[in-house]
Amino acid sequence: MRIYLRTVSAAALCLAASTLAVSAAGPITVVGWGGSWDKAYKDGVWDKYTEQTGIPIVHEEWAGEVAKVRAQVQAGNITYDVVSTEAPGMEIGCAEGLFVPLTPEITGDPENYLPGTLHECGVASDTWATILTYNTDVFKGDAGPKSWADFWDVEKFPGKRGVYAQAQFTLENALMADGVKREDMYKVLSTPEGVDRAFAMLDKIKPYAVWYSTTPQAIQNLDSGEVVMSDQFNARITDEVMKEKKPYAIVWEAGYFYGTDYWAVVKGAPHEQDALDLLKWFSVPENQAGFSKLYAYGTGRKEAAAMIPPEWAANLPTSPEHIEYATAYDNDFWTENKEALEERFKAWQAK
Amino acid sequence: MVPVRAIPARPHRQGGLLALLVLPLVLFLVVVFLWPVARFLALSVDNSDISGNLPRTISALTDWTPEAGLPAEPVFVALVEDLAEARRAGQEGVLAQLVNQRVVGTRFLVIKTAKDAAAGKLDMRPVRESLLAKYAGWDNPALWRALWRETSAYTDYYLLDSLDLMRGEDGSITRVPEDRAVFLDVLVRTIWISALVTVLCTLLALPLAQAIVGAPPFWSRLMFALVLFPLWTSLLVRTVIWIMVLQKNGPVNATLLGLGIVGEPLNLVYTRFSLYVAMVQVLLPMMVLSIVAVMRRVPATYMRAALSLGASWLTAWRRVQLPLILPGILSGGAVVFVFALGYYITPMLVGGPTDQMVSSYIAFYTNNTLNWGLGAALSLQLLLILLLFAFLYWTASALLRRKVGG
Repeated sequence: MRIYLRTVSAAALCLAASTLAVSAAGPITVVGWGGSWDKAYKDGVWDKYTEQTGIPIVHEEWAGEVAKVRAQVQAGNITYDVVSTEAPGMEIGCAEGLFVPLTPEITGDPENYLPGTLHECGVASDTWATILTYNTDVFKGDAGPKSWADFWDVEKFPGKRGVYAQAQFTLENALMADGVKREDMYKVLSTPEGVDRAFAMLDKIKPYAVWYSTTPQAIQNLDSGEVVMSDQFNARITDEVMKEKKPYAIVWEAGYFYGTDYWAVVKGAPHEQDALDLLKWFSVPENQAGFSKLYAYGTGRKEAAAMIPPEWAANLPTSPEHIEYATAYDNDFWTENKEALEERFKAWQAK
Repeated sequence: MVPVRAIPARPHRQGGLLALLVLPLVLFLVVVFLWPVARFLALSVDNSDISGNLPRTISALTDWTPEAGLPAEPVFVALVEDLAEARRAGQEGVLAQLVNQRVVGTRFLVIKTAKDAAAGKLDMRPVRESLLAKYAGWDNPALWRALWRETSAYTDYYLLDSLDLMRGEDGSITRVPEDRAVFLDVLVRTIWISALVTVLCTLLALPLAQAIVGAPPFWSRLMFALVLFPLWTSLLVRTVIWIMVLQKNGPVNATLLGLGIVGEPLNLVYTRFSLYVAMVQVLLPMMVLSIVAVMRRVPATYMRAALSLGASWLTAWRRVQLPLILPGILSGGAVVFVFALGYYITPMLVGGPTDQMVSSYIAFYTNNTLNWGLGAALSLQLLLILLLFAFLYWTASALLRRKVGG
């Protein structure tokens, strides 16, 4: 009962606060990737902004569909102010004029950004990686997989594999397992033979694959022992290991690809100016460092990276310890080919 | 068998009043259901996002054939005008996406050309030379062939695609390459899974319904409540529980291992088996409800009469009870089958990739790759199957009524 009362009074307070805030700016609708990602942004970054300025921030989640922004703009009914989008969406949205171009006045000196983290219309919200992870209770000590070839080797490492049910990430991993060097990846994938080669590799792992389409599914499969290893986004695994004490290890040295998502302001958004102010505030290194401190993804400003405690920084895909095993996703390639390859992948899966 | 008294016709005025009362509902259905559904289905043949955005180019291409090589200057002039227009209308993104669907690798080409065209950067003549010099891509014969083919406001591209067919180089209809052919399999699979689930539900529901109807009032009510209980639980919860129960270290495998029936855990989850289990469990209450409703109206004396006349229990049930409850089985079967046809969440969660049904592909194309044309074509397919089976059900129950009535 006491909990109930507390909830009610908290709700009443919120209501009162929101009524008061109507006269002030905002609220700014910020659209992120959901789950613990959103929570880290809320706790580490946006709550501070609201504290400092009194401008409330509303959180929404999506799966990065730029077509949704396009539909809102065309219908003249824009509800998103700031969105985090993957690089291909950024390219398309910016080229189409859906996003507001950002000036150095907002982003600060471009020199201060890590390569690939600043775009004409966006600043990095997070740099993430897709890595190989395995259950250290199953493969103890030094017995774990070391490479993507090991991921494919079901004789030496018996057990099912968790595999992301989409072409992007999976094709790259398959070709790495087949001995393609990361630096040659998109040269190979740009040819029909290269794509066939990747699918031929996938044929081999198919009987052992447990497909997932969301991260919670992947974690549940690892957790229940349904799979012994999986591909996954690095920060989620770090989260599980650090917060839940789960027995997972990340095999950085197997090689991994990383990508960057960007914050962008929707042109003509109801709070466009407030949103730009928000990104200006976000571009201050101390402010954006709040995210990486809570979640093992990097952000754009070089100084922000330096503010993260070194022992935690080792969990980030951009950390100097691992970066030699990393290559960036080719955004141009995936922008042009994603639809066709995802459709082929879906058809291949169904056979 | 049962004498039916003719119901006297209602006075005319009352009918008019009834129609008036139903009118809001009809309007509501038309506005929020029929109209949007029809609009969405129309996308399966709609081509206006391509042809409507390239009117000048298409009319300039009428005299052109693919054998003629790259088109001449007027076509390029028309193209630049069209793209500038599309850019100003905010349509170039949709156009680029659709062109990229037909010829992969042309998305940025269209967007960038449109941007430059609207900015007046492509006005120097001859346009053809400057365009070809500025962008790699407009010299691609496949791209021109694709544009040349999209002359009509309507297209059969998506409908053909949803049947694993396509237009070949010469415009004739051919099968798509084997590695891309998937929809016919999915269609057959969807019908098969739905039919089997319906049969399984019927077989399980019959004894259960019989037990509920035959039990003393308290037990009857209790059993009925237990059947209804899952209906009040979220579909998601009911489905996810099966993952827990059937997974490698779940209770089913633990029991089988403990009893020594199997040597190592069975692969139960993410298979067709787990899909059937989950779907039958979710849909069973519909069947039970439907059969119980009919069974309650059949007096128990009929069975007793048949038994007292010397029929074995099985014969009595088959020849007396079954025909009387058949309408319940039919309507329950129709409900279960129709529900099963549209299943999406359950196969996604507990099935493997070879167990996905049509709905999952509709969701994939509408949400994931934003290929709404194909999503609409697949929806149309599903709707047609539904109508076909609705017709079969209607015919079967009409026949049944005539047989029982006569």
